[in-house]
Amino acid sequence: MNKVLISVLGSDQPGIMAKVASIINQHNGNIENLSQTLLDNVFGALLMANLAEDDSSEKLEQSLQDQTRGMNLYIRVHPWQAEPSDWHQNKPETQPYIVTAIGPDRQGLVAEIAGELFKHGVNISNIQAIFKGGKNPMDNLMVFEVDVPRAVVMNDLRDALDAIAARLELEINVQHRRIFESVSNILN
Amino acid sequence: MLTPKEIISTLQMVREENLDLRTVTVGINLTDCVSDDIETFKRKIYDKITRTAGQLVATCNRIERRYGIEVANKRISVSPIGVVGAPFNAAQMVEIALTLDKAAIELGVDFVGGFSALVEKGMSHGDQALIEAIPQALTESQRVCSSVNVASTRAGLNMDAIKRMGVVIKQAAAMTADDDGLAAAKLVVFANIPQDVPFMAGAYLGIGEADAVVSVGVSGPGVVKAALERAMAEEDNMDLSRAADVIKQTAARLTRAGELVGREVAEILGLPFGIVDLSLAPTPNENDSVGEIFEAIGLPAIGAPGSTAFLAMLNDAVKKGGAFASSHVGGLSGAFIPVCEDLTIARSAAEGTLALEKLEAMTAVCSVGLDMIALPGDTSAEMLSAIIADEMAIGVINKKTTAARLIPAPGKQAGDHVVFGGLLGEGPVMAVNMGSQENRFVRLGGRIPAPIQSLVN
Repeated sequence: MNKVLISVLGSDQPGIMAKVASIINQHNGNIENLSQTLLDNVFGALLMANLAEDDSSEKLEQSLQDQTRGMNLYIRVHPWQAEPSDWHQNKPETQPYIVTAIGPDRQGLVAEIAGELFKHGVNISNIQAIFKGGKNPMDNLMVFEVDVPRAVVMNDLRDALDAIAARLELEINVQHRRIFESVSNILN
Repeated sequence: MLTPKEIISTLQMVREENLDLRTVTVGINLTDCVSDDIETFKRKIYDKITRTAGQLVATCNRIERRYGIEVANKRISVSPIGVVGAPFNAAQMVEIALTLDKAAIELGVDFVGGFSALVEKGMSHGDQALIEAIPQALTESQRVCSSVNVASTRAGLNMDAIKRMGVVIKQAAAMTADDDGLAAAKLVVFANIPQDVPFMAGAYLGIGEADAVVSVGVSGPGVVKAALERAMAEEDNMDLSRAADVIKQTAARLTRAGELVGREVAEILGLPFGIVDLSLAPTPNENDSVGEIFEAIGLPAIGAPGSTAFLAMLNDAVKKGGAFASSHVGGLSGAFIPVCEDLTIARSAAEGTLALEKLEAMTAVCSVGLDMIALPGDTSAEMLSAIIADEMAIGVINKKTTAARLIPAPGKQAGDHVVFGGLLGEGPVMAVNMGSQENRFVRLGGRIPAPIQSLVN
């Protein structure tokens, strides 16, 4: 096994995936999993690949960088043998919650909320910002999808987040994920 | 991962559009409490109710926080007291009502329904005693609601019972004259009453139901109004087909939220889940009005020509959406048009756009009937019975539920204002333009036979 993690960042344009995948293919590597995202116009991708035994992360990184010159991409390749983190190895039983912070963006918002979640042993599985500005509260929204260990006392977590909300002049809601799913997915 | 649209639409429904669970209602069967000793019966029903629903309020509060949805009312419905309390006389029936009231206060629930009789074909001793007790029972209790089913498509109209109910409503209103006849607002007369309504004042637990069951009443006229307004503003090819779709989808979403909460409460209480009743039930608040939906779709006001057509579409779309979203939709499920409980409907009635006659026409296509209508205090018992008979006939012939909740407000004239408070709201006293207060037709009594089920035209 010769696993590598490849990260690709840059301004979005056609051909990024085509190029990166074809170079991995040239190295006789196999892409085992991948995810890409767009943040405004910024492209980001994370790929997990298995390389040939005689290949190396350094060689692949060099090829990727050489052959994508001109596309202005930031590409890194890391060897990947790490054991899963403690959290994943001893994952506590959790409940999925959605934390929404409604109100204008401000410095420290993510740090404060994420910090408080961390303090309670909560893992963030996804985070997204919907900031369009203006007066509509639904255009100034930060969404944290989180896994809350069963041992967490929800009222304590809510109280702590309410304190942050008061300080940052936000409204913070903590709702079980099921309400979003049951209201949104009427075809399940 | 949830999409921004999924997150925003759910948040909007809860935060801005007044999606609430109007009620989580625990139905409790009292048939195993029967006794011919009044003290034994009172003790048994009090014990069974407080034991079965002891954790209802605390559980709802917990679920409320978990999902960020308000459960506005917690309620109890019981087996019809006219049946389970059959051995008792009217004075003892009042004692039973006060026992139900005491249990409701002990549990912290908002209402208890089931001080009821089913008399569509005839009245038993117990039914007669219960009906006689209604005025005093509703005057002396705070949280007890009463319903009497006087007609059905299978049995026809029991005109003796309807005649009696006119008198009972007058008495109930007179005994609570200082509160504009409040007791009459807690009493509803039905045709084709469903066995599983979680909404008041008609909630009771039918004889065919389980020993105890959790049902949910979901409301949300504000959510439907907002969805329609958004679609009207944003979509180029908006027409009534599309509007029906928007209502249907919104109804499905509301029903899902209700079923989620209902099932969870049921699980925690260790009781079976019954039904979701998705009814657009207004409260006397802005953005929580059925009348506002009529304005959102482009009618000048509820009651204007076109209102019956739109109400038919609204009621049907709500039912379709609900039935699609859950296999256990029941109760009344549709759109309510209670005058005093709805800010916009009350306004239309006060301004004269909506008259009693138009309301009656609209009840042919809504899910309940003539609801929360304040009438002049001098409306005779016979006139009330005649209005009820008309409303019941609409239900019986059309194979649907209809109901009448009429409040002849003591000392008030048409155009005066009455205030009942809380969810019961306030509104104008509506004129009864129906000639003489005497009514020989009603006085004849007897039964109007059940309608033929063929030759449908």
